[in-house]
Amino acid sequence: MIEILDPTVQPGAGDPATGPTWAPRPDSLAGRRIGLIENTKHNSDRLLQRIGDLLKSEYGAAETRMWRKRNSSVPAHEEIIAELKQSCDVMVAGIGD
Amino acid sequence: MASSLASARLAAADEGEAMELCHRKGWTDGLPVVPPTPARVRAMLEGLGLEPDHEIAYVAHRAVSITAEKVAINAVMAGCLPEHMPVVVAAVEAIGDPRWTYHGPGTSTAGAGVLIIVNGPVARELDINAGDNLFGPGWRANLTIGRAVRLVMRNVCGSRPGTLDRGTLGHPGKLSYVIAENEAESPWTPLHVERGLRPEQSAVTVMAAESPHQFYNQLSSTAEGVLTTLADNMRISGNVMGQTQYVLVIAGEHMRTIAGSGWDKPRIREFVFAHTQNSHAHLKRTQRMSGAILPEDESRMRPLCASPDDILVVAAGGRAGAFSAFIPGWGSARASLAVTKEVTR
Repeated sequence: MIEILDPTVQPGAGDPATGPTWAPRPDSLAGRRIGLIENTKHNSDRLLQRIGDLLKSEYGAAETRMWRKRNSSVPAHEEIIAELKQSCDVMVAGIGD
Repeated sequence: MASSLASARLAAADEGEAMELCHRKGWTDGLPVVPPTPARVRAMLEGLGLEPDHEIAYVAHRAVSITAEKVAINAVMAGCLPEHMPVVVAAVEAIGDPRWTYHGPGTSTAGAGVLIIVNGPVARELDINAGDNLFGPGWRANLTIGRAVRLVMRNVCGSRPGTLDRGTLGHPGKLSYVIAENEAESPWTPLHVERGLRPEQSAVTVMAAESPHQFYNQLSSTAEGVLTTLADNMRISGNVMGQTQYVLVIAGEHMRTIAGSGWDKPRIREFVFAHTQNSHAHLKRTQRMSGAILPEDESRMRPLCASPDDILVVAAGGRAGAFSAFIPGWGSARASLAVTKEVTR
């Protein structure tokens, strides 16, 4: 019998044994403020705006507002995160290639 | 070593069963791994003099701390020897550096490998290949050091194909992509010295990179002739519009030809920068640049890189054969830069 060590780590915050912890998901999008984070790639703004419009028309979201990252490779910068925390309930990030 | 190993332990009947267990757990790159027993992992750490919980790098995008213990476990699995660990650690520091910007090259559909160029005494001491069959099989250090870095990316940073590694094609260098510069025969300033270190220091330079693109010039006996061929091959390559960094790998015959013309690395860079520019009209005609072609686009030129300094020149490859290679970086230099770290021992 031999013993081996686990080489993995669960990415994200939280207990390494149980994995990342996520923000609680809303039961409904009705009346929620939607933040959209655009990653600068061609048409990512159009794709996300279309998603935002559908969240309003089909799921009753209250409003959408879009932010633009500095480039597609970096995380959303601190100002975006700070403003999102203040003004949004739900956030959608994505790409359009 | 004061603190103990904190990773979860799994039991297996024997070495063979442990190897299969690693496959079943999804911890491998598809090849068999050396079972990471506590004794083997401790031997890796003892060579370094690092505590298991010492943080080698923190990848902000993943909110993940890469500890010496996890690096050691993955290095054992990759087949490294304890003396390889300082190079693995330096490379992991480099991919955790904010200038390298882990998220893009670790995840992108463009499928970057982690090109690791080793300079200084450590390359010779560890027999890291700088010569024949440069990117191919045959050298334990080249294959295991890069493999260890990729296993850290997979197992610690979550870069698994199909989830957080979305490479459309990937390339064989994603298994391991380690070379040394042929400092013994090169007439030029070594890469790490150009990037601010002393010759007697050891270093890794890490770039998010496509596969090597080989070019032929079996005709010319001048620097200008060889590099004209290189520039013609290279002009449309990589993410043409992205202005990535590039590595030029100049092998033995071309190295002697270019040096014979009296050209040094800065002159190579300047020439290649000047001769790899594309007209806006060509970029628009070939559907790389958007917009209608304007009359002035025929003479308006766009450089392949933002600056000659984005072209890293390395002397490496076999002594015989009139071939060299260029390696486009991933994405764009704005999104990820090559990073040089000293190898400390």
